[in-house]
Amino acid sequence: MSTDPNQAVACRTVDAEERSLLGRVLDRIADHCRARSLFVLHYCTGCGAIELPPTMTSRFDLERVGMQPMVTPRQADILLITGYLSVKTLKRVVMTYEQMQGPKYVIGLGSCTINGGMYWNSYATIKLLDRYIPVDNYIAGCMPRPEAIQQVFLDLMGRIDRGEAQAWKDYYRRYDWYLGQQQQLFGTNWQAPTDVVGEAIRYRLVGEQTLGSHTAHLERYAPYYDQLGIIRPEPARMKARPQLEVVSR
Amino acid sequence: MNRELESLDAVFREMPDLKVEHTGPRRTRIQVEADALPTLLELLKGRAGYLHLSAISCVDWPDTEEFELVYHLWSYQVSNLISAHTRIPYDPGRYVSVYDLHAPAVYFERDIHEMFGVWFEGCPDQEPFILTEWQGPPPMRKSFDTVAYVNDTFEWREYQPEWANDPSGGKG
Repeated sequence: MSTDPNQAVACRTVDAEERSLLGRVLDRIADHCRARSLFVLHYCTGCGAIELPPTMTSRFDLERVGMQPMVTPRQADILLITGYLSVKTLKRVVMTYEQMQGPKYVIGLGSCTINGGMYWNSYATIKLLDRYIPVDNYIAGCMPRPEAIQQVFLDLMGRIDRGEAQAWKDYYRRYDWYLGQQQQLFGTNWQAPTDVVGEAIRYRLVGEQTLGSHTAHLERYAPYYDQLGIIRPEPARMKARPQLEVVSR
Repeated sequence: MNRELESLDAVFREMPDLKVEHTGPRRTRIQVEADALPTLLELLKGRAGYLHLSAISCVDWPDTEEFELVYHLWSYQVSNLISAHTRIPYDPGRYVSVYDLHAPAVYFERDIHEMFGVWFEGCPDQEPFILTEWQGPPPMRKSFDTVAYVNDTFEWREYQPEWANDPSGGKG
């Protein structure tokens, strides 16, 4: 299509990323509804899990705001990390997180997920959760009371409603960086069974750091990564998102 | 002579060199040489009814360059706990498995091998158990500096004083 304003029918090139007005209205409605029906998957390896029964049950009754526990990652919206994670459990958390369908949200509960907490000097526990998966909200405290947990849930609901809770997209846009952080702990051959790059293409969330040196060894599993070669070497052209034909291969 | 000692009497007659100490109402501490410990466990199981090996623990003694292995044995008949202590040197750091006497020993020995680096001859499985992602030295050794390892491996988040002012970060 010509971009000459005197000849072209459309005066500007339409950005493939840009949503139409109707699309944006639908997004807002979806966000509004989604914020009022959240399923929470609890990863209860830490001591913080003890604060959740009162949060869930009749004393504080989280279902008032439309939240309820979910037992599987694939049906859950929120992954709640309730305390410290060892390197071994972090690997399971990463696999759990990648099985969740977007949009997905992560809440780090307790000081352990923020800076190691009382296990700061342990060789076996990780210190900063947001180095390995994107985190939407942290709840400080050791332990945070159910009131604090509810406060954060309400805060997250408000941000989902306003369309601000977009941390999960960062995992796709900067997957190479996250994978590199994970590989520091799990070894350079680490990869999750999930095809994160394929999902990034599907969600149209391929960013400048989706592919890189850490994801290089994934390419032998997914032949269509070669198709992405056109966007990899030149950062200036990264804005050109891969077309859907790539996905169908 | 109380009931616990009666049941142990047959064992003590066989092994007169044991250092036995009754540290509490249902606790007996036995110091035994490393080469005599499997015999002691067999006698305790066969003659005195100490059927349950509830744990094997390990203590690192860097001053004498020794590992102290403690075998905790429980008798359901007389309700008494025996802790049999023995010491093995760092070098070569090998000892004999008691898996043939007490099958649950495989887990304790696997754990000690992982955490202290002691090799147990005859233990059927000493693959990584808890620390499947671990690449470093055995971390429960006193020579392992966990703080230095953490500072080398992980990064820290700087505390931001404004976090304390508004818990909701200005969005609540």
